[in-house]
Amino acid sequence: MVKHYIPSTLKEALEVLDKHDCYIMAGGTDLMVVKHQRSGLIPNFDKDVCYISNLEELQYIFEDEKGVHIGAGTKFSDIEENELVPEILKQIIHELASPNIRNMATMAGNIANASPAGDSIVGLYLLDAELELVNINGSRMMPIKDFIFGVRKIHREKNELIKEIFIPHHDDLNTYWRKVGSRAAESISKITFAGGYEVENGKVKDLRMAFGSVSITCVRDRKTEEKYIGMSVEELHNHVEDIIKDMGKFVTPITDQRSTKEYRYKVAMNILKDFILTIE
Amino acid sequence: MENISFYVDDKEVIIDVDPSTRLLDVLRIKLHITGVKEGCGEGACGACSVIVDGVCYDSCLTPVANVIGKHITTIEGFRNTPQYRIIADAFADFGASQCGFCTPGMILNTYTLLKKNPHPTEEEVRVALSGNLCRCTGYNAIVKAVLDIAENGGDIEW
Ligand SMILES: Cc1cc2nc3c(=O)[nH]c(=O)nc-3n(C[C@@H](O)[C@@H](O)[C@H](O)COP(=O)(O)OP(=O)(O)OC[C@H]3O[C@@H](n4cnc5c(N)ncnc54)[C@H](O)[C@@H]3O)c2cc1C
Ligand code: FES
Ligand code: FES
Repeated sequence: MVKHYIPSTLKEALEVLDKHDCYIMAGGTDLMVVKHQRSGLIPNFDKDVCYISNLEELQYIFEDEKGVHIGAGTKFSDIEENELVPEILKQIIHELASPNIRNMATMAGNIANASPAGDSIVGLYLLDAELELVNINGSRMMPIKDFIFGVRKIHREKNELIKEIFIPHHDDLNTYWRKVGSRAAESISKITFAGGYEVENGKVKDLRMAFGSVSITCVRDRKTEEKYIGMSVEELHNHVEDIIKDMGKFVTPITDQRSTKEYRYKVAMNILKDFILTIE
Repeated sequence: MENISFYVDDKEVIIDVDPSTRLLDVLRIKLHITGVKEGCGEGACGACSVIVDGVCYDSCLTPVANVIGKHITTIEGFRNTPQYRIIADAFADFGASQCGFCTPGMILNTYTLLKKNPHPTEEEVRVALSGNLCRCTGYNAIVKAVLDIAENGGDIEW
């Protein structure tokens, strides 16, 4: 018989996780879909479940001199409405799932689910977000790009949970977001792209490019980006085909029920080109 | 099994259930509130919408453990309010309900929209209802009904 734990404090939750191998239930918008059997039947959990959705200690957003801190229990709709949250994340959330799901789902759940089509993940890669993982003994920080290492594969120990998402300040970064899906609402992404740039005195001071849904994890490569940092905007525009070639190496989409790999590759590269050419 | 308590349509409910049970099943099967509909069962149609502490949830994806202590409003409680009357009349006037299966979800999402934003633009209405699928009306009648309430709904306190 699986057990269900409904802790009322974070400390209690961490004690539960320390003793039992559990599914962590946040909003349930991934877990309840996967474990659903049939109407009227209870979901089919094969391990214990620990419910964290009502832990108030995990619901917060604040900023300090370094960046913005988002508690893991904060729902997407509260993140979208908060003025401290970077514009690109708001844009991403606005197009993610549906209003009801945004009222229920958490960004931490989107990250931990580690789907290549997890939309918030792409924005968080772009912004160099870090995760705070906690267990009963303490906490550690880990960049999101190291946390996710494959489809549904994350570096979480069994007794840990994500407590917080930390987003360093990027006040001067201009951002760009495109999501290609089958329709406006509720579509699982076929391709997503988040871009960022800073231009100072006509020179590219920062350049960032992140793709979602085109490989097993979100794709971003600092080395490639650095190759083009320091160029004038005009030079950058002249190098657009090289950038496409460089980024193209990482874009290895698959054919699935939502799209073909050829379509995904072509559209991804068109979006990249549009992004580069909008930089001014 | 676990004793779980929350409020449904202003009444306290205490039930002994598996905490992972879908809120939808608790409402329909245990509490016989069949005005809450099940369409897709996977978060994609909004037929199962209920209001939880002021915002709409898909009850098909909500484990009942997640609503402990919370206040839930279903279409069956909401229908006794003056706000319901206004929305239902507008839906009737504009032919915004045909088979009616999506209607409970549409009405609750219309209400939570107008409560937050009493004068939405057409775009805002379409976004707010984007998680509610309708196989009959083609949506335009629904959007017109909501826009009409926003324009002519008078001074009602949403
Ligand atoms: C109809 C529909 C449309 C959707 N559309 C989109 C879309 O357009 N874009 C998109 O990106 N996603 C989409 N999703 C998926 C999205 O809703 C989820 O990924 C959501 O963000 C998960 O959050 P949750 O709180 O519901 O997580 P849950 O379902 O509760 O959990 C998801 C996973 O994360 C783990 N987890 C949760 N919280 C923590 C934590 N604090 N620490 C460690 N592990 C944790 C859980 O154990 C589980 O493995 C859609 C889902 C549905 C049903
Ligand atoms: S039945 Fe819940 S969203 Fe379709
Ligand atoms: S009226 Fe039939 S589904 Fe909307």
